[in-house]
Amino acid sequence: MVRLITHNLLACHARGCTSNNFPLRFSDAQIETRKADFNADFIRAFMPKLEWSALVDAAKQLGDTSLPLEAPDMLDEEFLKNLHRVLLEIHIEEGSMTCPNCNHRYPISNGIPNMLLAEDEIA
Amino acid sequence: MPKDVIPVVVSADPGTYEDAHVHAIYDDIADHFSSTRYKPWPIIAEFLSEIPTGWMGLDAGTGNGKYLSLPPHPPGKIWSIGLDRSINLLRLARSAGGVTREVVLGNVLDYCWRKGCFDFAISIATIHHLTTSERRRVAVQRLLEAVSPNHGRVLIYVWAIEQDGLSKRSIPTNGECSTSGQDVLVPWVSSDREQNATNAHNGVARVYNRYYHMFAKGELIDLVKGAALASGLELGPQPGGETGARGVEIVREGWERSNYYIELRLWQVR
Ligand SMILES: [Zn+2]
Repeated sequence: MVRLITHNLLACHARGCTSNNFPLRFSDAQIETRKADFNADFIRAFMPKLEWSALVDAAKQLGDTSLPLEAPDMLDEEFLKNLHRVLLEIHIEEGSMTCPNCNHRYPISNGIPNMLLAEDEIA
Repeated sequence: MPKDVIPVVVSADPGTYEDAHVHAIYDDIADHFSSTRYKPWPIIAEFLSEIPTGWMGLDAGTGNGKYLSLPPHPPGKIWSIGLDRSINLLRLARSAGGVTREVVLGNVLDYCWRKGCFDFAISIATIHHLTTSERRRVAVQRLLEAVSPNHGRVLIYVWAIEQDGLSKRSIPTNGECSTSGQDVLVPWVSSDREQNATNAHNGVARVYNRYYHMFAKGELIDLVKGAALASGLELGPQPGGETGARGVEIVREGWERSNYYIELRLWQVR
């Protein structure tokens, strides 16, 4: 699956593409929402590892503008539940992700992103 | 049907050979293979149960994703993303344990992540499918790159020449394999349950020969040493020393059920 939790970690690895290769940009995304088990402790501990602005931007590309532009210091239950929903309940089933630097396109099919490169594209 | 492994010398292009003798085979046998792989090995389950809440992991060579659902309790305590080269295994992995999982189609020799963005990484029964020691070293380097330089934990399992008594296989030994391992083909006999019609010709089971590098005693440790050196990491416990020093410590290593394993922890002096 591609959810935003994974998107926040993926970077382009095409040959020579080593800077400005994150975050990948969604195109033609078909999304589905599905409930996932909420674990507040996970979200609270994981949050500092997020690239926050990349997450806010990616959510916006999928039509979700519920996240604040700056990560808040006070993490109440309502905020954690919403962050959980954005990270783990929005599934990108089809579409693609494009590198902001080299424009390499990584397709997503049946919820699985294809990060393979052709032999001559490998770094 | 042959149960024993067949010694082999790989002279073809490594990538092409792995495509034919590893990736394509797993795509064909995924369903049958997966039905035989459901029991987690104890040391891996223990490693995953000790991972702190909120940590994110990479399972490089996730196969059918059996480790993506550990630990089972409490749900969502940690997350693991499964990476594999076989799309058909990933189709199984993405619903491992009855829960939707995160899986990515990719090669363990490539690196498609932000640097050090994972807290832990496991690579179980995967690196032994790479045909040269250099490729196996690169795969270990990818794991070292994937995890946090400050606290990253890594667990690697590979197949050993030293097989346990319960194993059905007999291992050919020539004098040289005692230090450098042994390249072999391991037959996989597709069963009648295999649904893919191309696998069974008129009821005759098809045999797939998967490539494995069987590790010699000490070879996995040497591989990790080589990877640490190539990645600019000191090998050993964290010293009190100079700021900026980075390294990797071997937490434990050993043999379990026909496999060698090694657990690593990264450190950085700040
Ligand atoms: Zn790029």
